[in-house]
Parts: sequence; C-alpha cells; structure tokens
Amino acid sequence: MRRFRFGVTARIVAVLVVLGVAVFPLYWMFVTALSSNSDLFADQPRLTPDLGQFGVFVDALAEGKAAGWLLNSLIIAVGTMVLSVGLGIPLGYALSRFSFWGKAVLTVVLLFTQMLPEALMVVPLFALFRRFELLDSLTGLVLVNSAFVLPIVALILKGAIDGIPKELEEAARADGARPFTTLTRINVPLIAPSIAATAVIAFFHAWNEYVFAVTFIFNPDLQPASVGIANFIGELGTPIQTVMAVAFLFTLPAVAFYLLVQKYVVSGMTAGAVKG
Amino acid sequence: MTVVEQTGAPKTTSPGRPRRRPSPLGSKWTPYLFLAPAALFILVFQAVPLVQEVYLSFTRTRLLNPTRSEWVGLDNFKRIFGDPEFHSTLLITVVYVITCVVVAIGAGLAVALLLNKKFRGRGVARALVTVPWAAPGIAVALIATWMLNAQYGIVNRFLDAVGLGVPGGAILDSSRYALPAVLATTIWQLFPFTSVVLLSALQSVPQDLNEAATVDGAGRWATFRAVTWQVIKPTVGLLALLMTIWSLRRFELIWLMTKGGPVGATETLVIDLYSQAFDSKELGSAAAIGMVGVVISLIVIIGSRLVARAVEKGDVR
Repeated sequence: MRRFRFGVTARIVAVLVVLGVAVFPLYWMFVTALSSNSDLFADQPRLTPDLGQFGVFVDALAEGKAAGWLLNSLIIAVGTMVLSVGLGIPLGYALSRFSFWGKAVLTVVLLFTQMLPEALMVVPLFALFRRFELLDSLTGLVLVNSAFVLPIVALILKGAIDGIPKELEEAARADGARPFTTLTRINVPLIAPSIAATAVIAFFHAWNEYVFAVTFIFNPDLQPASVGIANFIGELGTPIQTVMAVAFLFTLPAVAFYLLVQKYVVSGMTAGAVKG
Repeated sequence: MTVVEQTGAPKTTSPGRPRRRPSPLGSKWTPYLFLAPAALFILVFQAVPLVQEVYLSFTRTRLLNPTRSEWVGLDNFKRIFGDPEFHSTLLITVVYVITCVVVAIGAGLAVALLLNKKFRGRGVARALVTVPWAAPGIAVALIATWMLNAQYGIVNRFLDAVGLGVPGGAILDSSRYALPAVLATTIWQLFPFTSVVLLSALQSVPQDLNEAATVDGAGRWATFRAVTWQVIKPTVGLLALLMTIWSLRRFELIWLMTKGGPVGATETLVIDLYSQAFDSKELGSAAAIGMVGVVISLIVIIGSRLVARAVEKGDVR
C-alpha cells in the first residue's frame, strides 16, 4: 500500500511541476505588469501580483500607442481570417470532392509552402509590394498573411469535408442543386467546427505575424502590436510594467481562443501534415 | 511526397448539359472555379516570389539597388560554402534543430504519458499545459528576455539562490549560454504541441493489451516498447518531421532574443539569411543561404517519406 501512495504523490508532484513550467512565464508577465517599482528592483522580488496596481492595464491602453497597435492587429487579423477561410473553403472542397488535372501538383505545392520561411520570401515580396503600392498598408499585410496561412486552412478543411458522407450531397444534387449551393448549404454547416478552428488559426497567424509587418510598415500609426511589442525588447524608455501589460493584453486573446478550439486545431494540423 | 488520393472524388464525369439544368457535378471546369481564387493567391504571393528568390541566389544584387542584378552563376554558393562562419551557422542550425526535435518530442511524450493517467482535474491540467503553444512568439521572446535579464531577471535570481548563477548573469550575452537559453525557450513553446498530439495518439493504445503484457509479467519498459511505442511510432515520426521543418524556419523568437549573437552563437540559417539581406544588404547571398535551408528541408521531407515507406514494408523497425 505504501508504494502505491508514493506513486500517486510522485505523479501529483510531477503534474504540478509540468503545469508550473507551462504557466509560469505568462504568470510572471502578469506579476511584472502589476509590480510597483520598489517590488521590481528589490533584492527579494515579489512573487504574487499586486492587484492594487491594476490601473497599469488601463494606463497602457489610454496612454501611448498600445490601443492603436492592438486595433491595427485586430484589423489585419480579421481581414486575414475572412479572406483565407473564404478562399480556403472552396479550395478544400475542390481538393476533397473532385478529381482534376493538376490536383497532385497542387497538393504538393500546398505542403511545400509549409517549409518556406517568411524571412526568405520577404525580399521578393517587398519588391512586389513596392510595385503595387502595398507598402505601408494594412491591406498588403492581410493579403500576404492570407497567402501564407491559406494552405494549412485549405488542407484542414479538405480533411473535414472528406469526413462528410457523399450521399448527403448526392441527394441535394438529385434535387438539382448546383455544386456551389451544395457546398454552402450542405457541407459548410456540417464542417462548422473545423471552419471555426481554421478561423482561429488564420486570425492568430496574422495577429502574431512579425516579419512582414516589421518590413512592410513604416508609418508608426499603422504598426500592429507584434511590431510595437518587439520594439520594446532592448529599449529602455518605457516602464517595464507598461511593456508587460501591453504584452499580456496581446497574449490573452490568443491563449483563450486556442484553448477553446484546441481539439480541432491539433487534429487539423496533424491531419494536414499526415496527408503529405 | 506521395499524395493520398481521396476516395471522395467523383468516379464518373457526366457530359455537359444545357445551362438550365446543371449536371449533378457541374462541368469539368467546376473544380477549377472553386480553386482558382486560392490558387491565384498562392501563385502570386508564394510561387512567384520563390522563383524570384531562386533567381536572386545566382546573382549579385544589393538591397540598395535591387533592380540592377548581375548574374554570377554559382559564386554565392561557392562563397558561402567557403566561409568558415557559414560552417558554424550550419553546425548551429543542426544542433538547434536536432535538440528541438529530440527534447520537444521526449518532453512531450513524458508529459503525454503523465496526463494520460486518470486523476482529478485532468481536463484542467490538459488545457493549462497547452498555454505555451498558444502564446504569441513575440510575447514569448519578450518575457524570456525579461526573465533572463542580467540584473533583475527571475532566472538569475533563482540560479544565484541555488548557487548555480552565471557570472555576470548576462545569459543571452554569453556565447556559452545563449544557445541553451534560446533552445529552452523554443522547447518551452513546442512541448505542449507534441504532448497534445501524442496524448491523442495514446488514446488508441489498446488497454487490454497493456494489461495482458503486465499480467504476463512484462516490466513497464518492456510493456511500453511492445505495446505503446508500436502504436505511437507513426505519430512520433510525423512530429519529428514537423519539428524539423518548423525549427529550420523559426525566425522571430531567435531574432528577438539574440539577433543570432553573441558573435554568431545562435545564428541559424534563417537568421543568417535575414541579416545578410538587411544588415549586409546582399540579397544574392541571402537568397543562396535561403536555398540551402530549402534544400535541407526537402531532403528531410523526402528522406522521411522513404523511411516511412520502408517501415510500412517492414524493412526497418
């Protein structure tokens, strides 16, 4: 009996250690945001948040540019989400339900794009953006982010449509429905959870994106939060509490939404890769 | 890469009919109508730039005057492969990638096995463990840099308290500790993904087989190898491939923590490529470095396919 109890205790300790490691850095971000200066630079740092300092979050949004950054990120992310899911649904449908010339090539291309680093593509894209006057525009970022997240969105949605029995569509077709109607009326409602997952993936792909934003945006008023926060690193002018407060406000929605749709995201991402 | 053709594809194509009564499957152009917008998008923003980048790698092109590029053949490749600093970049890339793959999968498997046991609050634990993966890379770089701050960082305070402090404390400025610190941060962000994926693979391990093996007197390790490992092996292979590709292309975390420094100690291929393009302003060499990375990725992908096929045939275990 003793050995059994020891095993259980060890397991509880191990779980707590793992959770501590997983959560601590974000907890520490929160604690740092809510620290007074004296706590921050004391010999013994304060390990718990000082909730009396909560005004830092309000100040971070009211003063400085953080609110504008987050708004820009929101615009880019919503645009990317709408565009990439809007294009990904028909692409996924074509890949799932039709056989056509070039299908194998297209699938390989979609998988191949997964290994191209943004840092490699940024130079030719810069030239392209200059020619089409997309530099310094949020639209440009929406376009490029959509192109980069589209393959994974389409592969996940293809997998989801694969899972729907074809008979449902055939019944609709027998009633004279056109392919587009079949897609929007039959398939889309049935794959709603996968669409939600890809929407979250696309949204936060754009929300988190840094390389294109830092290279293509010069106007500080158009900077998204990823660039604004990255500029804090190594910079000394802004109080660290403000920095951490902005970063926390930037992180929280990403974590919350991923937890919500995590199951679909994980199965979708691995399915997209398995088919390679 | 092999493409798994889906059985969902229609087997018969019906002849075209008058427009008033659309055929059940539409015309043979229907799939192209569905995929054209997306394909055009990928063509413009991925395929064309990639081709341009391949071209650039054979030219000498300066960032300040990019329209004037001079064809130099293989010169860029000859130069980078002759450069000892590039050898060190390649070595660091290999160390970075292999460590990410091995430790992220190892840690992920350990956590998955831990969270696969029944206990109260397991659902909450499974959710909380995914937090690092969901956090934006920018925020992770920022908090890691702050935690590793030489003077006020919690990591140094902790290391000092247990007597393992780094002299001077500037971990990210130390050519010895910067790479381990960047690796630890990367793996912190990766292990939730591997553990969640492995956790779902563990659901298909037949429990009665596990019990049978235990009843037969097999030890834990033997049971794991004979039962669990056989089931999760394909998933581990897939994860290894994903981790390799992701680690080869990871940019912002390393760039924001160290910019590849100190003195190149954390300079992977992608960091090298970016600083060649935007610090040295040599677009041609940058493109050549990028191509090296792309070729390595391709070799890994094709190699993993071949291995997977050999495993399926039973040649390799």
